Amino acid sequence: MSGIEEMERIDVDRVRSYPPRTSEFTQPFWEALAAGRLQTTRCAACGALSFPPKPVCPHCWHGEVRWTPLQPLGRLYSWTRVHAGPEMFAAELPYEVGIVDLDAGLRLALRLVAVPGREFAPDMPVRLVVLRFRDGPLLAAMLR
Amino acid sequence: MRRAAILGTAAVPVRKYQRKASEPIQTVEHEMIARLVVEAMQDAQVEKSEVNAIVCAHPRPYTKQKYFSTFMAHYLRLPCSGVVMETMGNGMTAALAFDKACDEILLGRAEVALAFGVNMEMSVTSAEHMKDSVRATGDVDFHSPSGLIPISWYAMDAVRYMHEYGATRAQLASVAVKNRAHAALNPLAQYRAPITLDEVLAQRPIVEPLGLYEVPPRGDGAACLVIVSEARAKASGLPYVLVRGRGFFHEGAHQISEVPNDMIRFVAAETAGRLAYEAAGIGPGDLDLAELYAPCTIVEVLAGEALGLAPRGQGAAAAAAGETRLGGRIPISTSGGLTSRGHPSYATPLYGMVELAEQLRGRAGARQVEDAELGLSSNELGNYNAALVHVLEARR
Repeated sequence: MSGIEEMERIDVDRVRSYPPRTSEFTQPFWEALAAGRLQTTRCAACGALSFPPKPVCPHCWHGEVRWTPLQPLGRLYSWTRVHAGPEMFAAELPYEVGIVDLDAGLRLALRLVAVPGREFAPDMPVRLVVLRFRDGPLLAAMLR
Repeated sequence: MRRAAILGTAAVPVRKYQRKASEPIQTVEHEMIARLVVEAMQDAQVEKSEVNAIVCAHPRPYTKQKYFSTFMAHYLRLPCSGVVMETMGNGMTAALAFDKACDEILLGRAEVALAFGVNMEMSVTSAEHMKDSVRATGDVDFHSPSGLIPISWYAMDAVRYMHEYGATRAQLASVAVKNRAHAALNPLAQYRAPITLDEVLAQRPIVEPLGLYEVPPRGDGAACLVIVSEARAKASGLPYVLVRGRGFFHEGAHQISEVPNDMIRFVAAETAGRLAYEAAGIGPGDLDLAELYAPCTIVEVLAGEALGLAPRGQGAAAAAAGETRLGGRIPISTSGGLTSRGHPSYATPLYGMVELAEQLRGRAGARQVEDAELGLSSNELGNYNAALVHVLEARR
């Protein structure tokens, strides 16, 4: 599809602290993410988008869905900086997480990547980026 | 129509009870619960032979004894033809124990039912404990890997609330000061030394903007309620607490709705509250006090607004103005709430019920709300994605 931006890929020289699992079904999501593309499922019947991607439509319960590319742009709905975290994240503390409303009308919660000298605030425009860890990708957001 | 009532209560003060496995003497959960059952039954003046159902909050995985409810049926030699079971629903776990025990009364399967719970976790460090809790408050493949932790969702509520309504840090922090003042008067509370607003604001950040005193402390605890039919309660001649209304709502979202919504309007609390008020035939203005499950200061503000205790966007200002203090317009969490009474998570909602039962039976001592007739309990899970609300009434 034309007009969809590729996401910046940022190398992170370690493994993910809490790696996600890949299923046969979600494999296309993770493979596209590694290649810098954001996609999720859209219901073949009612057209509603899902996130995370799901093999059935959670809205109308239709059983057929299609992979759809998403523009990786949106706005920060809210955010926080985590100073006390679980053991597996200890080396990353403090870190920022946020909720992003994509222009496509989907809300996501993800890791934020700080830009030096700029503090996060609600409603700021953000772009999604891919954090490329040694063992696989994670989705994150940065201020535009 | 059958109705359920609380006739007896017992609880231990919230604190650290669990000991490290290496210590020679251990605290054993079933001994604690057995003592509380006997104490609560004495409070209710009910005979053991009348009890016909046990609903128990599922204990933490750090409790060694498994299948706790059936184990307790044996430990207390308590045959039942009503249910013997455990409930689980994150923060709502013990509220579900209360609710299901009431159901046994409403269904006519029991005239007397026990609802109890024990939460032991203090031998486990917070960092270790959170390894497990990140699995409970988000999608393990799409949320947990980013480092979202249970209270990070509440922190994001706070950021959004301050952004939309111009509420200040000090207004939110005033909730913690108020709760500590209440806890100072509650012998069951974990943290009782008064704190100032400056002290709350000076704490190290945990999940910004919330600092140490605005997020839940961890603790161990145990509580037991004796739930009886209204007829049995009346026959006792004792003061009792009638469950006058009840509402539940799950919004069909867990932590976050992928369809953008107004996240800080707690729809589940709003809906469950409305159902409970309708069932009770009252409105929020009729309440004398409310005991809210609120792990963080912001949650008390947002739940209070959703339940009609303050207008939208004004809950933090109302707290700062003293409206939710003892003696204020609508005292909230006279127990000290989760931030100061303490938060032995899987038993916490039972502590809320114990507080309301004390208040509505006129036994709350220095923190007694004068002539308290109607109290509200609200419990939740996730980011208040589900709410279970009860309206309780004093009968004496």
